Amino acid sequence: MIEEKIIKKNRLNAMLQELSKEYSIYIPAGENGDFRFCELRDTNDELVFWDYRNTRISPKEILFPHSEILYEFSRDESHQFSISQNNDDQRKMKNVILGIRPCDARAIGFLDRVFIGEPNERFVDPYYLKRRIHTIIISLACNRPQISCFCTSLNGRPDGEEGADIIAFDIGEEILLKTVTEKGKEFIKESSKWLGNVKKSDIDKKNKIFKESAKRINSRVSVEKVKEKLDDSFEADFWNEIHRKCLGCGICTFLCSTCHCFDITDETSADRGKRIKCWDSCMYPLFTLHASGHNPRPNYKERMRQRIMHKFNYCPENFKELFCVGCGRCIRNCPVNLDIREVINQVSQLK
Amino acid sequence: MMKEIETRIKEVVKDLFTQNKIDLFIGYSKGSLPLTSSPCFITKSEDIEKLVWNSFCSNNLAVYLPRIFNPQPRKKEKIELPRIGILAKGCDARSIVVLIKEHQIARDNVFILGIVCQGMGDRKKIRNDIEITGAEEKNGRITIVDENKKEIELKREELLSDCCIECQHATPPIHDILIESGNQRPAAPKGGGRDFEKKSIEDRWNLFQEEISKCIRCYACRQACPNCYCRECFADQTKPRWIGVTDHISDVMFYQIGRIFHQAGRCVDCGACVRACPMGIDLRVFTHKLVRDAKELFDYEAGVFLEEGLLLATFKPEDKQEFISEP
Amino acid sequence: MMDKNFEPRIVAFLCNWCSYAGADLAGVSRIQYPTNVRIIRLPCSGRINPLYIVKALQNGVDGVLVSGCHPGDCHYISGNLVAGRKFALLKNFLVHLGIEPERVQFSWVSASEGPRFAQIVKKVVNEVKEIGPIEKMVKRL
Repeated sequence: MIEEKIIKKNRLNAMLQELSKEYSIYIPAGENGDFRFCELRDTNDELVFWDYRNTRISPKEILFPHSEILYEFSRDESHQFSISQNNDDQRKMKNVILGIRPCDARAIGFLDRVFIGEPNERFVDPYYLKRRIHTIIISLACNRPQISCFCTSLNGRPDGEEGADIIAFDIGEEILLKTVTEKGKEFIKESSKWLGNVKKSDIDKKNKIFKESAKRINSRVSVEKVKEKLDDSFEADFWNEIHRKCLGCGICTFLCSTCHCFDITDETSADRGKRIKCWDSCMYPLFTLHASGHNPRPNYKERMRQRIMHKFNYCPENFKELFCVGCGRCIRNCPVNLDIREVINQVSQLK
Repeated sequence: MMKEIETRIKEVVKDLFTQNKIDLFIGYSKGSLPLTSSPCFITKSEDIEKLVWNSFCSNNLAVYLPRIFNPQPRKKEKIELPRIGILAKGCDARSIVVLIKEHQIARDNVFILGIVCQGMGDRKKIRNDIEITGAEEKNGRITIVDENKKEIELKREELLSDCCIECQHATPPIHDILIESGNQRPAAPKGGGRDFEKKSIEDRWNLFQEEISKCIRCYACRQACPNCYCRECFADQTKPRWIGVTDHISDVMFYQIGRIFHQAGRCVDCGACVRACPMGIDLRVFTHKLVRDAKELFDYEAGVFLEEGLLLATFKPEDKQEFISEP
Repeated sequence: MMDKNFEPRIVAFLCNWCSYAGADLAGVSRIQYPTNVRIIRLPCSGRINPLYIVKALQNGVDGVLVSGCHPGDCHYISGNLVAGRKFALLKNFLVHLGIEPERVQFSWVSASEGPRFAQIVKKVVNEVKEIGPIEKMVKRL
């Protein structure tokens, strides 16, 4: 059963203080509208993210960091090798992500399918799983969509619940918390002493605010036919035109909340080394460069095609979902204004 | 004025196509967000109407030329080079000069439509928490509309990029046709990184570290830079591998130092790297040091004279020897 | 304030024709100079890629000395003159970023200047000792 609870904003700090004994708490921090998810260090700090828009970098960086040491290895004087698994402090593995926007929460749901998959799946990323399994995601329903937001075109909503354990609604003086998963319910139960019951007026208030914010998302793209169209347009002339202004940087992939490609690399010195997993981008030539020197995606065209195909064709094939949540980060930050909405629209109009 | 220039651009491009002088024209089209323009590639005269000219045509279009003239992978047979028309502000044209001098562009195949630039705006100058839902430009004033339909009127000058404020080469040093745009705006004294330079060495290091720690290594600065046309960037090289690929601060610094220093004597201070950076790193504090030193030590400005040798491929007997440590 | 026993590691990039021969002369003439310096021989000071210097610092070298033929004496006629511009810009740039000027030093040493080579090494070693081990830029695995 769904539970709804309420907490006064001014009591939240006290609650977080207690939670911080057990969890690492991540919140959007920043100023002048420029936010990034950070670990909450001082629970007395005033929480300022209630009407933030969204973070510059997607919160995937908490669960899937830019660089992560998988294990370290070394050789001692007698030439004995030893490997040490990177065992972070267990406390650090229990996270609460507070204030993530519903689009990004949904994206984390997508990442789960990639890195964890269905239960008992053969391919599980243990490093992602270790973090994910102890992470509670409390999303904050979106009250300030941007003009580059288009989540509603991709089955998202400013108050969408997918991917979150609990969704929070800012209704003025108070925060309304609504449980989504069992994990969320458990969490609410644990912290019940801080929470009050919901009145009908609160729910009305909530509904009013978030109906309003859904209306503010005016940007629409038609994605219904994208997958089908891409099925037989690998060789289409369209790609020759669309990539032209692309600079080939990695902004769109690095800031994207669903992009999940990574590289595994070794860094070594004479007697020790590390194996590291770090972000990689299909927009880089190095991504597909073979040891022979041959590159199957030698040009901007092939790399751009890969990005679009991966998001809108291969992923729907594998995970039954378009891998875009409409957060608009790539649109806001692209240095040449190569708008993904225009690309989708053009794909939809392919013959 | 902007509208007149736009009309003039369209006329010139139309002529170029009707006289069959070019195969491709690179200009700007309307961007999808307010206060943006987007590079635009015109291959047929029907598309000329897409071209625009406004205060946000800030991309350095010269970045596209090396990749058109040297397509990857290298072809065995000699390819026929396309004839390209390109819109060039002062900085774009200076980049073109640098690229011609470095043999990346076939001069005969480029038709340069120069424009005397009045400086370009940067939407990042508007605080991030103001959501710009619309904008209009009129008579040197820009009116932006926020999400609550509130109008904010700004002077054009308030939105100019730092590099544009200090630009001293608004007129393209090289062009086939030049479009005038009224009086040239007076340049502010060169200031990029001046305050930074006055700080103590430790403060400078800490600030450098703080600034660079924002870098996520998306390589947008490199990709946006017309000078960064290396077939294989040192950051991508695997033999030898110069740097690790992680976000370790030392590797990020190495990348930034390497990339910025590679622009020594070549950087035209167009600001493309600063504008491209998604993390808002003020790279100009560092890049401008090299521009300034080239001028102060060797009286050299990149991309101004086509006939002059490259800074780091020439020397003068009177070059200062101050960097030498005497025992 | 610094550890009295700190022995810096200095990498010296020397050109084959002058400075390396100068170092050789210092050796055969039995001129004493600090043993902190590790010499890497290059065909010409013009062969030095600025990245070599930055990479040396990243790898934890406490100081870098670069030395070539005196202006006008280059075996390749103008390699050192062209390189000189690069060095001047690099030095200023690294100092601008906050790296101590003592860390990266340049000199001209001819094949007949054994004593000068010894002096310059002494100077670099002493100055680097003064500022202590390198912390900035270093990547420790």
